[in-house]
Amino acid sequence: MSLIRQIWLLLLGVVLLALAGSLAITVVAERDTLQTQLRLKNNDNAQALALALSQQRGDASLMELLVAAQFDTGYYRSIRLVRGNGQLALDRHADPAPAVAPAWFVRLLPIESAPGVGQVSDGWRAIGSLQVVSQVSYAYDDLWRSTLRGAAWMLLLGLVAGGLAMLAVRRMRVPLDATVAQAQALSEGRYVVVPEPQVPELRRLGSTMNAMVLRLRGLFESQSAQIETLRRQAHCDPLTGLPHRAHFMDRLSSAMQREDGFGGGLVLVRLADLAGLNQRIGHEATDRALLLIARALQEYPERAPECFAGRLNGADFALCLPAPDMTAETASSLGAALQAGLQGQGPGIGVHIGAIELHRQQGAGDLMAAVDLALARAESRGLFAVEVVADATASPALRGERAWRQRIVDALDGGCARLKAFPVLDRKAGLVHLECPLRLQLEPEGEFEPAARWLPLAMRSRVTSIVDGKAVDLALEAIAQDGRPRGVNLAAASLADGVFAAHLRHRLGEVPQHAAKLWLEVDESVALAHFAAVQEFARLLRPLGVRFGLEHAGQRLHQIDRLYELGLDYVKLDAAVCRGVGRSDAGREFVRSTATLLHALSLSVQAEGVEDAVDADALFACGVDALTGPWASARYEE
Amino acid sequence: MACLLLGAIALSLQAWDHDRMDAAARRIGPRAVEGARALQPLIAQVAKQDEIARLAPINEFFNRRVLFRDDQEVWGQVDYWASPLEMLGKGAGDCEDYAIAKYFSLVAAGVPAARLRLVYVRAELDGGVQAHMVLAYYAQPGAEPLVLDNLIGDIRPASRRPDLAPVFSFNSEGLWQGVAGASAGDPVARLSHWREVLQKARAEGFLP
Repeated sequence: MSLIRQIWLLLLGVVLLALAGSLAITVVAERDTLQTQLRLKNNDNAQALALALSQQRGDASLMELLVAAQFDTGYYRSIRLVRGNGQLALDRHADPAPAVAPAWFVRLLPIESAPGVGQVSDGWRAIGSLQVVSQVSYAYDDLWRSTLRGAAWMLLLGLVAGGLAMLAVRRMRVPLDATVAQAQALSEGRYVVVPEPQVPELRRLGSTMNAMVLRLRGLFESQSAQIETLRRQAHCDPLTGLPHRAHFMDRLSSAMQREDGFGGGLVLVRLADLAGLNQRIGHEATDRALLLIARALQEYPERAPECFAGRLNGADFALCLPAPDMTAETASSLGAALQAGLQGQGPGIGVHIGAIELHRQQGAGDLMAAVDLALARAESRGLFAVEVVADATASPALRGERAWRQRIVDALDGGCARLKAFPVLDRKAGLVHLECPLRLQLEPEGEFEPAARWLPLAMRSRVTSIVDGKAVDLALEAIAQDGRPRGVNLAAASLADGVFAAHLRHRLGEVPQHAAKLWLEVDESVALAHFAAVQEFARLLRPLGVRFGLEHAGQRLHQIDRLYELGLDYVKLDAAVCRGVGRSDAGREFVRSTATLLHALSLSVQAEGVEDAVDADALFACGVDALTGPWASARYEE
Repeated sequence: MACLLLGAIALSLQAWDHDRMDAAARRIGPRAVEGARALQPLIAQVAKQDEIARLAPINEFFNRRVLFRDDQEVWGQVDYWASPLEMLGKGAGDCEDYAIAKYFSLVAAGVPAARLRLVYVRAELDGGVQAHMVLAYYAQPGAEPLVLDNLIGDIRPASRRPDLAPVFSFNSEGLWQGVAGASAGDPVARLSHWREVLQKARAEGFLP
């Protein structure tokens, strides 16, 4: 039984006992008083009547009249005059008057009407004794009414006491609940600090738990700072702090292989004549120019988290843009910014810029070749020239927004939606869950197309929550069929949609045994940009048994200040940080520290996009709990 | 078991309680103890005689031993009904104190309460008229009573007392007496003089 319930029962018991006890005592005391009064009344009346009878000089008819007059007031059950020899001289008696009080009450609290006795004489001659008994029902009625009144008062007092007790318990409950919630949060891996309770017993507990939480937080924060250093060492160019070529390429291919797709552009910036510059203006001035370019590129990722930049080699920088149709504009504005910046550094310092619209079907290598070609064209046109190659095939079919929305909704409703399934395997090759991206058949008889084709349109048409709802429904149906756990990823817009969360909660509450096999995940960047929404979503859904995690994580994990308060179950590391760890000490070190930190937060760690056994072994050795990607799919089929 | 049975029989034969009377007398004072010591053998002695014969010794005992004084003088109150031992303790009392003491002593000696009545009378005394109380003994119900008075020491039949005009009479017969001490805490029940003196007489061992 809960503590609060015990307190309630105790209070209830004490109040009931006190009230019922005082009512009983009052009633019994009143009964005794009434009984005494009745006895005295009988006696007084007997004395008074006997005195009056004694003055009648033994005249029987006068005495009878007097007795009758007294009796007819109606307050007497009997008045009798008994002669010395036991003979009845006068007798008046009535039936007991009906009482208002119920029979059980009369039986429970009997009131005795003791007869009053007076001696009647005529001068020295003793006539007999007079016995007077009053009706007792009036006393019962009086007692019954006062019992009812007493009970009503007690009830009122009881309600007031109950109300006060409720206030007191509520006051007690607040700090208790806060402490319990903190403990609950701790067990869920959220490290929150609560205000210290005012109650002394709880204050020590609260402050101890707060201190522990703060110590753990400090630990996590220093660890995550350390990991950030490792990440820089593993992935970044020491001079500019931008990702180096290998890492940039990993991120580029990881981005392009993602199910939810990638439309955007790639901008290549080259510092003209690096070797010549080194000779002419010296190392330091050249480094200044390189840093200036790096800073100009860095502004884009800072403004749009989906952007990323890199230093490909000595003179070459690249910027990857997440949105289509803005490459040309970005390239020219970048060119203008660099022109303004670099011309102040000295004569002859300049860049060439080549840019290209990205298309998913291309490989990263082809892309680089294409953008190199654009750059070469720019170089032929002189300093600060910008060359953009538009890829006509990449641009999606132009349709009205309304038409797109309709098509997506039709596809969802018309059964033209299907889940793919990619296995996530643990180190014993056991299935953790199936990653289930949604595919839609947008054209009749056409292919089931990945999110890359339609997600940007769905986002623009604001139907993501419908799309995500459909994906969860399909996953639950599939779980119901084969009992295998399934993972579904959700868009940021769905998370922020309160109706979606409430709907989902209701839907999952109906099938708790299936909800326990559902894994929901959001992109790392969503957690960064919409921390509160993600936290609230986790708080709402995790109690239903749903597993909740981040996907494509690793790049900005350290930027999520309060990862420990988010309420997650797992984190999937992005392919960009997992790829090639088998061959990179720094990469392994980064994954290992990250996994250690996440484990310390009670999160399980999974790796995405694993292609070969070398990486798989290295990842497992670094403490990663499960893998997905081509290697896992191949093993699962075996 | 036999002891218990004997005890019970003894209790029913002897209506009064020797020890209780001693204890009560000690509480009141040395004169009360002295009075009780004189009264106890008298009660025990007369109890063996005929009912009629019991009256005179008791009547005489109180008439002789107690001086007639006003309540105001003895108790500092206008009207005070003293118990037998209280009166013996003071050695003085007024008319109702005499009647009360005789009443309880006779009851203790085994005279049925139904044959005794305390009577309010109008007494003509020395040409004046006075409210007075006497004890009347009825050998049979309805018969002429014998009057035990402190003004005239002899016991005379009522017809030989033309100076007394009876007004009202009472006794403890049929009166609800309750448990001893039950009315002690009851302010309402305290009001009656008669009830109070009954209580005291029981505490002094005159009544069972």
